[in-house]
Amino acid sequence: MTTDPREPTATPDDQPAADGGTAPAADGGTEARAAGATAEVPLPVGREETGHEHALPPQSAIRRWFVTTNHKDIGILYIVTSLFFLVFGGTLALLFRIQLWSPVQAGQTGFLSAFAYNQAVSIHGLVMVFWFLSPFAFGFANYVVPLQLGAKDLAFPRLNAISYWFYLASGILLGVSFFQGGSFAGGWTMYAPLNIPTFMPNIGGTTAVLALALFVISVTVSSVNFLTTMHRMRAEGLTLRRLPLFSASILLTVWMMLFAFASLLAALFILTADRVLGTTYFASGSPGGSILWTHLFWFFGHPEVYIVFFPALGAMAEIFQTFTGRRLVGRKWFMLAMLLVALQSFVVWMHHMFLTTINLQIKTLFMATTIGISLPFDLMVFALIYTMIKGDNRFTTPFLFAFGALLLFIIGGITGVFLGAVVLDYEFRGTYWVVAHFHYVMVGGVTGLVGALYYWYPKITGRMYDEFLGKLHFAVYFVGFNLLYFPLFVIWENPRRVFDYSPAFQPWQQLATVGAFILGLSFLIMFYNLGKSLWTGAEAGSSPWEYATTAEWAVDSPPPLENFPGIASYKDGFLSFLAPAGEVQPMAADGGAVGMKADARLEPGYDDVHASHASVWPFVVAMGVLFAFLGLGSIHSGKLPTGVGGAVYLGLGALGVLIGGTGLVFMGLEPFHAPEVPIAERWPFEGITKMKTGVWIFLASDIVLFGAFIGAYIFMRFDFGWTIWHHDLIPPQHVVLPGLINTYLLLTSSFTVVLALVAAERRSRAGVVASLVTTLFLGVGFLINKAIEWHHLFDIRTTAYPAGWAFSTNAASSTFYLTTGLHAIHVFVGLLITSYLIFRAWGGKYLGEADGNSIEYFGLYWHFVDIVWLFLFPLFYIL
Amino acid sequence: MSLVIWPNLLVPLQGGSLIPTGSRVHIFQSIYLVFLLLGTAVGIVVISYMLYNGYTYRTGSEKSERADVDRPQLGEIPTGGGGGRHLALSFSLSTIIVVSLIIWTYGTLLYVSNPTAAQSAGELHVTVVGKQFAWEFHYPNGYVADSSNGDPFRVPVNRRVQLTVTSKDVFHDFGIPSLRVKSDAMPGQTTSQWFLATQTGTHIARCYELCGAGHSYMTAKVVVMPQNAFDSWYATTGNNTTTATPSAA
Repeated sequence: MTTDPREPTATPDDQPAADGGTAPAADGGTEARAAGATAEVPLPVGREETGHEHALPPQSAIRRWFVTTNHKDIGILYIVTSLFFLVFGGTLALLFRIQLWSPVQAGQTGFLSAFAYNQAVSIHGLVMVFWFLSPFAFGFANYVVPLQLGAKDLAFPRLNAISYWFYLASGILLGVSFFQGGSFAGGWTMYAPLNIPTFMPNIGGTTAVLALALFVISVTVSSVNFLTTMHRMRAEGLTLRRLPLFSASILLTVWMMLFAFASLLAALFILTADRVLGTTYFASGSPGGSILWTHLFWFFGHPEVYIVFFPALGAMAEIFQTFTGRRLVGRKWFMLAMLLVALQSFVVWMHHMFLTTINLQIKTLFMATTIGISLPFDLMVFALIYTMIKGDNRFTTPFLFAFGALLLFIIGGITGVFLGAVVLDYEFRGTYWVVAHFHYVMVGGVTGLVGALYYWYPKITGRMYDEFLGKLHFAVYFVGFNLLYFPLFVIWENPRRVFDYSPAFQPWQQLATVGAFILGLSFLIMFYNLGKSLWTGAEAGSSPWEYATTAEWAVDSPPPLENFPGIASYKDGFLSFLAPAGEVQPMAADGGAVGMKADARLEPGYDDVHASHASVWPFVVAMGVLFAFLGLGSIHSGKLPTGVGGAVYLGLGALGVLIGGTGLVFMGLEPFHAPEVPIAERWPFEGITKMKTGVWIFLASDIVLFGAFIGAYIFMRFDFGWTIWHHDLIPPQHVVLPGLINTYLLLTSSFTVVLALVAAERRSRAGVVASLVTTLFLGVGFLINKAIEWHHLFDIRTTAYPAGWAFSTNAASSTFYLTTGLHAIHVFVGLLITSYLIFRAWGGKYLGEADGNSIEYFGLYWHFVDIVWLFLFPLFYIL
Repeated sequence: MSLVIWPNLLVPLQGGSLIPTGSRVHIFQSIYLVFLLLGTAVGIVVISYMLYNGYTYRTGSEKSERADVDRPQLGEIPTGGGGGRHLALSFSLSTIIVVSLIIWTYGTLLYVSNPTAAQSAGELHVTVVGKQFAWEFHYPNGYVADSSNGDPFRVPVNRRVQLTVTSKDVFHDFGIPSLRVKSDAMPGQTTSQWFLATQTGTHIARCYELCGAGHSYMTAKVVVMPQNAFDSWYATTGNNTTTATPSAA
């Protein structure tokens, strides 16, 4: 990449990360004012940035990309990485489309073996849905949303970097899984019991599941970050109703993500336990096991498809507005429709289960809710169509893709109504009708996001792409898309995931294969176009698109590191940048009405604490987790791996834990500043600090996680027989006393945390340390007591339980150990945090009101852990 | 509320033409055809309207130039373009179409799920057990046909067959596409579906849920026989009683 003249040249201030946070901020401020008009205030158009970049190397340096925490850089990382996964998932699809060129009859060998074919279709689905679509959307979300909100960055920049590196690590894990006896081969839906070691013994299967779990963790961290940002860092005047449509769609997406992914995480934890520890949730003989998986998976799975589509919808709305030159028709109703869909998405999941054992009343209910959710989409489709009336419609590449996306989505949506009619679904189940339907809607979403890529490309790179090649891409893409997916409707009776089909279907299968290659090739046009335009594209000004309205178009392309020259505000009904009196600069004419204003609420020097941008620890932590998960995946059904290979795996795992843990500690110790914005819309979190908001949002997700585990237990117990469960499956040696002792220990430890907080407010270092140490001892006592209890239960030797009551004994033991085990892991993590807090408190931190907050945040977590125990204790010891 | 009233209005019409009755093939075909025609019509209308608007108001066209509309400005606070009334009309229309379709198919669902005593009289009950990678058919007299041995699934023509479907190992799905019947086969659970073959002939049953490497070949032959032929054959199986009972609870 050639050096961009707008990037700063390296100055002596560019110190490595350890110094970055403590760069003399005060100097930076006075330096600017002393230098006069040009130096420190970034101007939106074509002015060189001088002044230090807060220890962040220039974009041309590789090191920058490993230490950056800036939302724009991370957005670029997400977009580029996700496009790599598009190619990966697409190649898998091309492999099985080659196989489907002719039916493979029994006894013949096809292009792929049966096992390879099953892996190809399964990983294709997983990669496209998880590793391509959402990260692609979130690349744009990362880049654009803070700009649209008027914020300088996300609320927690280092967590943002962690999200990205976790995502990359999870992708690497998925790639590695192919080499461990084959990857997961049970469909992207991973139905039980096919997903357990009895039927899928390969280690690669476990690694793939862990890869997905790591991805979900990345997403959860990201959701907490986005939710905190979007609720607390909006420009003044930008109420939630006034959010730009792309940001509004992202807000709803992350709310859905927070709750839906917690359910998937629970399903994956349980599946991992079945594969690694040997628990028996999903065994063939387990009560309700196979249907339990479908509930856990689809409760996530249905919101997931909207999670994947909403960003595309938001981008389409922005693109329609810009390229028709009209504000969205029925905007209020459009936003209400999106909100309704987000809420309703959690009450339709059983339409994926119409052929299971659910009864008629439930089928009817879910048929009704499914039809209910299609109605807001009708409204949104019409809103977009009406927006074109009296427009100044310019069919540029972004608009062609957005327009095409709408068309494809209409077709996909209509075919979805067929699936909502239960009696039709009885026949469509497991056939190409479903496949064609979801590819029309989901790849329709991709089409919208490709439009977004062309739309925001000038903003991100400062260059225009080649318009002719863009239009050519669209033409080839649209032809390839329909050649590939429409035949699948024609041969809808073909079963899914098979490679032996009726010869009458062959011409259509071949047409689809040709279409697949055309669609794939169209992306080559795009890569070429976007790649070469980085060098040869015309320079783009701040707003190359007429009628673009949102804040990202009011600043330079690409925007300066701090985004805006002042604090963005819409208080006067249009965008302006506020600064203290005396710091207002005239902006170049390009921005039109957008200018800087003096505001009496801002004192000179209000931004003396400059934001930090560089930290290497997110990358380090992610690599640690990668190795740790690799090691974990090698454990099979409760047995450690043997031999040299086994030792290597376990060694890697231990190393990973060490690296990850060290990274986390150093991340905590690092002086990293992500200052609060002084003037912002914060509803409904006014008066609550940023950190506290983040902790509460995280806990909301954790509540759903535990809810799913408890729900799974209750579900299985009802299926078996609620009252006979205790008699048939639990040995008499399982008594209440250890649970009771643990309850007292935990409750007391919550009290001591409150004491620590009081001591902090009273500036008593000894008090803080003593309370925290007591908490630690009580927590350790809890764990030791539990260990003794478990050991005692493992050692039972009776006729009923000749091998003890252990992980794999029966459903009651599996649910007991895993649910209370998950809780114990939460306790263990809490104790690690306590140890860290003790270490810092000993050094005198946390004293005085403002600094005691870390203990308060920990207290929130710890009380949550206690409250969960208060549910688990009666469920697993008394009832 | 309306969901309770409307189907009850439809019930008396079950004997008539509104709710399709008879074999699963006829039921499916009737509904599918209506949905297909209506869906295609709606799709063509909406997409044509979309293309029309896009083209008519393309930049530089006369209508576009004449349009007296306030265009968006950079930096304006996001607002809407009005026009909520047209939206209400299209939305109501699409709602009526979609909801009517679903209420109609709900009537069909009731017919399929709640057979009268007359309809279920004389049914043949067969338990289908899926396993990797074959199907077992357990008849009332204890005889078990196993597709891994090449045994076909023999059924009588013009007589309802009531299936109880389950699995011995993983999650399968039993479907006979040309007879339009399908049901999930889950270990530890049983699902039920019925079908009625109106003509003699041969069909294929397949598996519709990915179940492992042999999923593509998990098929069984289905032979629909004339009533007498079926009865005579069935009588001969009395000697082949196996003690195998279905593994389903």
